[in-house]
Amino acid sequence: MANYAAATIIVLSIILIGLLLIRPSITAAQGGKIVAFIAFFILPVVATVLGASIHLENSTSTQFCLSCHVMEAHGKSLYIDDPSYLPAAHFQNNRIPKEQACFTCHTDYTMFGDVNAKMRGLQHIYVYYFKGAPDKLALYEPFKNRECLHCHATARSFEETSPHKEMRDQLASNDMSCLTCHTKVHDVANIDKKKTWKGPKG
Amino acid sequence: MNGNSARLQRKMKTAACLLIAGLAVEGITLQWAHPTSFLLFLILGGILVVAGIAVYLIAIVTA
Repeated sequence: MANYAAATIIVLSIILIGLLLIRPSITAAQGGKIVAFIAFFILPVVATVLGASIHLENSTSTQFCLSCHVMEAHGKSLYIDDPSYLPAAHFQNNRIPKEQACFTCHTDYTMFGDVNAKMRGLQHIYVYYFKGAPDKLALYEPFKNRECLHCHATARSFEETSPHKEMRDQLASNDMSCLTCHTKVHDVANIDKKKTWKGPKG
Repeated sequence: MNGNSARLQRKMKTAACLLIAGLAVEGITLQWAHPTSFLLFLILGGILVVAGIAVYLIAIVTA
């Protein structure tokens, strides 16, 4: 819907600007000046703001993250046929939205978390184009429990099970990482040796 | 047509070309959900549109 709105505004703006380019005499009249202001200022600003918001929304999609060749193996890891693999178990059992799988776990759940995630995304693009992607992809900083606890905290299956309840404070304070026990994450180095799930039937 | 009016029209033409190019880039990149398209939208489309708007505003203020 927003895509259609942005396209309509862009086309309308281009038509009006084109018209004023061909017939500049239109701007001699008061009405023409107003049309020119709308075409040269209001519509381009609205189109750019709307377009930026569409791009930011698109950038949260799984398809967006996996559109980069270097992320292919990470995408495959979501289909590992083994429930002990964290990303695969979350993805295949709808614990995270499939269409925003990467973003759901890798954004920061803080006030400016989404902005930080976008900045990291821009950093990825910079590194990819100007320095080349490293052989082994790694997070810029260790994965924080906060991102897991955003969903798991207060969930009965988490709070009332052992050993979570015994180490609840350590997990909350990040003194112990969730990944200390849940060690199987993307494991892209061995991805080709893993059996994969073919997706839901039907 | 006096010199002032000719200068204004020249600037309006420049602004129009910049804006059409910028809006075209923005429109094309919106059809593609990829990091490169996001970058093109932001850097190429954004700069062309901002430059077009700036030239237009300068033209009408200095006219």
